[in-house]
Amino acid sequence: MKPRVCILRTDGTNCDAETFYAFEKAGGECALVHVNQLRDGAEKLSRYQILAIPGGFSYGDDVHSGKILSVELTSFLKEQLLEFVDQGKPVIGICNGFQVLVRTGLLPWGEPGSIRVTLMQNDSGRFECRWVNLRVEKTNCIFTRGMEGAIVQYQVAHGEGKFYTDEKTLQDMEQAGLVVFRYADPATGERTQTYPHNPNGSLHAIAGICDRSGRVLGLMPHPERFVETHHHPNWRRSYIAEPHGVPLFRNAVAYVIKNL
Amino acid sequence: MAVHEVRVTNLPHLEDTRGKNLLYEIKTALHIYSISKIVTAKVYRFEGISLQDVDFLARHLLCEEVFQHYTINQPIIVDADRVVEVAYKPGVMNPEVGSIMKAAEDLGVNGLIAADSSHEYGFYGTITEKEIGLVLSRLLVNETVERVVPEKPDTLVIHGTPGVTETIPIRSMNDDALMDLSRDKLFLNLQEMHAIKNYFTELGRDPTDCEIETLAQTWSEHCVHKTFKSTLVVDGSLKKPLLKRLQEATFNARHPLVLSAFEDNSGVIAFYDGLALCGKVETHNSPSAIEPYGGAMTGSGGVFRDIMGTGKGAKVIASTDMFCFAPPDLPAEEVPPGCLHPHYLLRRVVAGVRDYGNRMGIPTNNGSVHFHRDFRAKPTIIVGAYGIMPAGDARKGQPQCGDIAVVVGGRTGRDGIHGATFSSGEMTHRTIDVNASAVQIGHAIEEKRLSDALLRARDEKLIRAVTDCGAGGFASAFGEMGQKTGVKIHLERVPLKYPGLAPWEIWLSESQERMALAVAPEHLERLLAICHEHNVEATAVGEFTDTGKLEVYYENECVCELEMNFLHHGIPGRTMIAVPARRPGEVKEPDLPGDWTEVCAKIMGDLNVCSKEPIVRMYDHGVQAGNALPPFGGVSGGAPNDAVVLAPVLGKKYGAVISHGMNPVLNTIDPYAGTIWAATEAVANAVAAGANPADLVLIDNFIWPYPDEESLYDLDQAVDACTDFVRATGMPFISGKDSLSSTYRSKDGSVIKIPPVVCISCFGRVEDVTATVSTDFKRTGSPIILVGKRDVNRMGGSTYFNITGSYTPGVPLVDLSVLPETLKAIYRACRNGAALACHDVSEGGLLAALAEMCFGGDTGVDVVIPEGCRPDYFLFNETAGCFLVELDDRVDAGELFGGIPYLTLGQTTNTKVISVSQGGKKLFELPLEKLLYAWQKPMKEVFGG
Repeated sequence: MKPRVCILRTDGTNCDAETFYAFEKAGGECALVHVNQLRDGAEKLSRYQILAIPGGFSYGDDVHSGKILSVELTSFLKEQLLEFVDQGKPVIGICNGFQVLVRTGLLPWGEPGSIRVTLMQNDSGRFECRWVNLRVEKTNCIFTRGMEGAIVQYQVAHGEGKFYTDEKTLQDMEQAGLVVFRYADPATGERTQTYPHNPNGSLHAIAGICDRSGRVLGLMPHPERFVETHHHPNWRRSYIAEPHGVPLFRNAVAYVIKNL
Repeated sequence: MAVHEVRVTNLPHLEDTRGKNLLYEIKTALHIYSISKIVTAKVYRFEGISLQDVDFLARHLLCEEVFQHYTINQPIIVDADRVVEVAYKPGVMNPEVGSIMKAAEDLGVNGLIAADSSHEYGFYGTITEKEIGLVLSRLLVNETVERVVPEKPDTLVIHGTPGVTETIPIRSMNDDALMDLSRDKLFLNLQEMHAIKNYFTELGRDPTDCEIETLAQTWSEHCVHKTFKSTLVVDGSLKKPLLKRLQEATFNARHPLVLSAFEDNSGVIAFYDGLALCGKVETHNSPSAIEPYGGAMTGSGGVFRDIMGTGKGAKVIASTDMFCFAPPDLPAEEVPPGCLHPHYLLRRVVAGVRDYGNRMGIPTNNGSVHFHRDFRAKPTIIVGAYGIMPAGDARKGQPQCGDIAVVVGGRTGRDGIHGATFSSGEMTHRTIDVNASAVQIGHAIEEKRLSDALLRARDEKLIRAVTDCGAGGFASAFGEMGQKTGVKIHLERVPLKYPGLAPWEIWLSESQERMALAVAPEHLERLLAICHEHNVEATAVGEFTDTGKLEVYYENECVCELEMNFLHHGIPGRTMIAVPARRPGEVKEPDLPGDWTEVCAKIMGDLNVCSKEPIVRMYDHGVQAGNALPPFGGVSGGAPNDAVVLAPVLGKKYGAVISHGMNPVLNTIDPYAGTIWAATEAVANAVAAGANPADLVLIDNFIWPYPDEESLYDLDQAVDACTDFVRATGMPFISGKDSLSSTYRSKDGSVIKIPPVVCISCFGRVEDVTATVSTDFKRTGSPIILVGKRDVNRMGGSTYFNITGSYTPGVPLVDLSVLPETLKAIYRACRNGAALACHDVSEGGLLAALAEMCFGGDTGVDVVIPEGCRPDYFLFNETAGCFLVELDDRVDAGELFGGIPYLTLGQTTNTKVISVSQGGKKLFELPLEKLLYAWQKPMKEVFGG
């Protein structure tokens, strides 16, 4: 049985097709599900084993990026979401999806309605579309198994991606090992605060985080934009054993097959 | 009902990036240094709900306490020297309001009647009244759509009662009265006004305002392309209309891939696997000149809808943008009255393209920016879009009598009224004042969900025909769709943004993000359900008939009844006269450079050569995950590629290639040669990336001064160049557009003619995206081959002549008898892997191309210039259709390029210099670091970073 992946979409979602493709390529069976279908009961999250919230500009990113969809999810689908997470099913939010997970409170502490971290406007004040180096930290995140310690390259494309929180939350998150991806210096592989390698000024160079269970992952960069060799801007001049986005999706699918 | 206000701002210890950026712009663009800091806040207003509910919304929606704080009905920026609030004018749709209303409802807050949002700016420092005035007028407030909020408004609700339909007593008007009616509003000439007068005189009645406006927009230059359809008398001899010549050239080329040319909203060619590609390129000059952000947005939105409305509907896969401005450092006093400063225009146009494309999820990945002083009176804003669809849906169906006319998408407001007629008129010092309503703010998310819904409806075969509501609104959309049958529309059914619109305003409104459909009655219910699921409003507003008439009703009143035949064929044909223009210019050739590094750095830093990377980085060029050749690549990611190659069907190796070419400077000297240059450059860009020239087609855009006799002569030359190019290469034009209003007339009668622009876009299919080539040098020790026939002594219009203040009337000529074989040879070299890197020669000449290849590869080069030629001309000549190829050193250049002009130029090195010698003697060495710095500097200064 292929794990069923719910690719959640709404007005302004625009990375749904490539997220769909990335999961299908990894062995998932995907469905594009409009949030209206969940609201009116035509669809149920419980039918799926993986939830992906793709990138885009949900509802135009009005008020705050991802905010309007977060309000909708916590107002109408809180129980379904909590049940999904409690059953140990993986959730991934990419770019706008990460912003949504943070603003629902599912990240970092799994507390809907409680917003403890945020993604602010980039320090540059601009939308930034560029390839970055990311260090995969050692965590219990199920999406990055076998990738720990590696440097991967993904594209970022966002205007509001600066990870920010208060000092205490930051320490608590570091202590709990929730930081999965950090922007890295291409020369040294070490985390960096230097623009443009850290494209937004994120604290501690944080590009992606998970919850304590390791099953809910949010990240600003786009792994689904690197699942074919030719996606990389310099595939002509470098050897690419496997596109760097592929293992992320494969791990989620493998996790479901093994555990659910 | 009371209006409550919430103000939200960042916590004081956090940086305010919006304020920081504004401060940067104030310093760099206005040279005002009296401001030390700017703090910004967001202002939200609510009407109809209690204070408790407002506080609830503040906490749960508007403010995130992790990094923000808020006040209710109190100021939030309290210690600034000056606080200014900037908001959209009442009636200009604020795209955010819909989301706020939705979220409030989702949060269980009921009773909200209206909401609004705006921005507040707190200025710190010793800023003077005059300075604040400059900041507001030049950077913050575009009076076309925005205003400074003087005080808290009493209400947010826009009231209004529908205007009445008026009768225009045209039958009794003399010529003066007819032209008074036309001026500033209809933009028709006397002959056309007479045709209308005669029509109604025969009918024995006077027209309604609705009828007059319908005719004016249908007959506008923007919609009907009168000049392009006119018979011409050129220098005394009769010539066929321009459009006819282009269409005939395309027809005679009989290109096997073409599925639809010049007949739909975009041109369509066959792709692979039963799919088709389509492309359309539009201009949006007039709106962008007076409101660059909104103008660029609606330009993008409009061209995307052209793709969405091609055949039975296509998915947009790429967006392109080509701009021309005056230099961003133009002294403010040189900006003509009624025009905006180029620094502001450039930044705001880029922001508009960015915000529309990014939000809609369309990768903007090909484009260019050109600068010339004469664009100070009006910029040229060109936006393109490309799409994919099943080949079986590439053609529209014919609406049948009884089909339902459906409007989908955004609501109708007073936006953009007179856009079509306004775009057809000249720009004057009065333009901003009179035509303020011609611009609006785009709503990309509305269009995105509309696209999602339409593609679904198309796949379920529910759509007979679809077209976008662009210039001319419903009048244009339904007028065209019902041309062969007749159509009856009931305007009172149209969903409005606010009450108070007169019937003619509803009918002519150019509110964005709307499309018109013809749907068989049995499919209506399903169509409406799909739209509902996608949060898209869809309304049946009428039906197609068999009367051959355009009938429009408002409630029970007939506000328009025109015969389709008169509407579409009643416009008097024109014969226009063209005479050769004189081009004065004093011949002056430069001396050999004394300091080569300085001259080369100047070339690299010239606005028409310099890196545009900061712009591209603001566009999401990776969304849809199609890129196989991105706009920029190479070691540090900053080397430009010639074209974009996309693999739009995920998992498939076949792809689409998109490129373009244009050079307004050459056109000012020689429009024929300049146009050949543009077409050659467009095609060379695609072929340099590895495209097969046999699989490429073209799109034309002519952006021309108002066609007086001289300008028309130039235009005639440009069109002849296009058709000659088609004959020589076999590549057809399948879509095109002209905009003939690039003339500025000032109060004192003086005229500025904007340089004539021909933009040639090129797109096509690529069998295997992994057999395409980037521009960055890949290895050291590789031979570099210069391929193609250069016209090396014709330097007129080159960057080198520009920076040295030189002039000759001789611009580089492309030898069309050699070009096709050159293109084929380059394609072969890319296809079989012999070409490791390939870059075509364009602005900045050989030198710029070499430098960019070095930047990408982090390599240097040794170059040997042939004896007997001027080294500066050899390095800086800009003949199009010539290529630099880094060849695999195991391949014999003679085998690949035998039979066409080629030259082994040198080889790549592991140094960081371009080393140039001639006749066994080293001429000079250029440090790449210096060139790179000069090349990146100009746009970094404008955009920061």
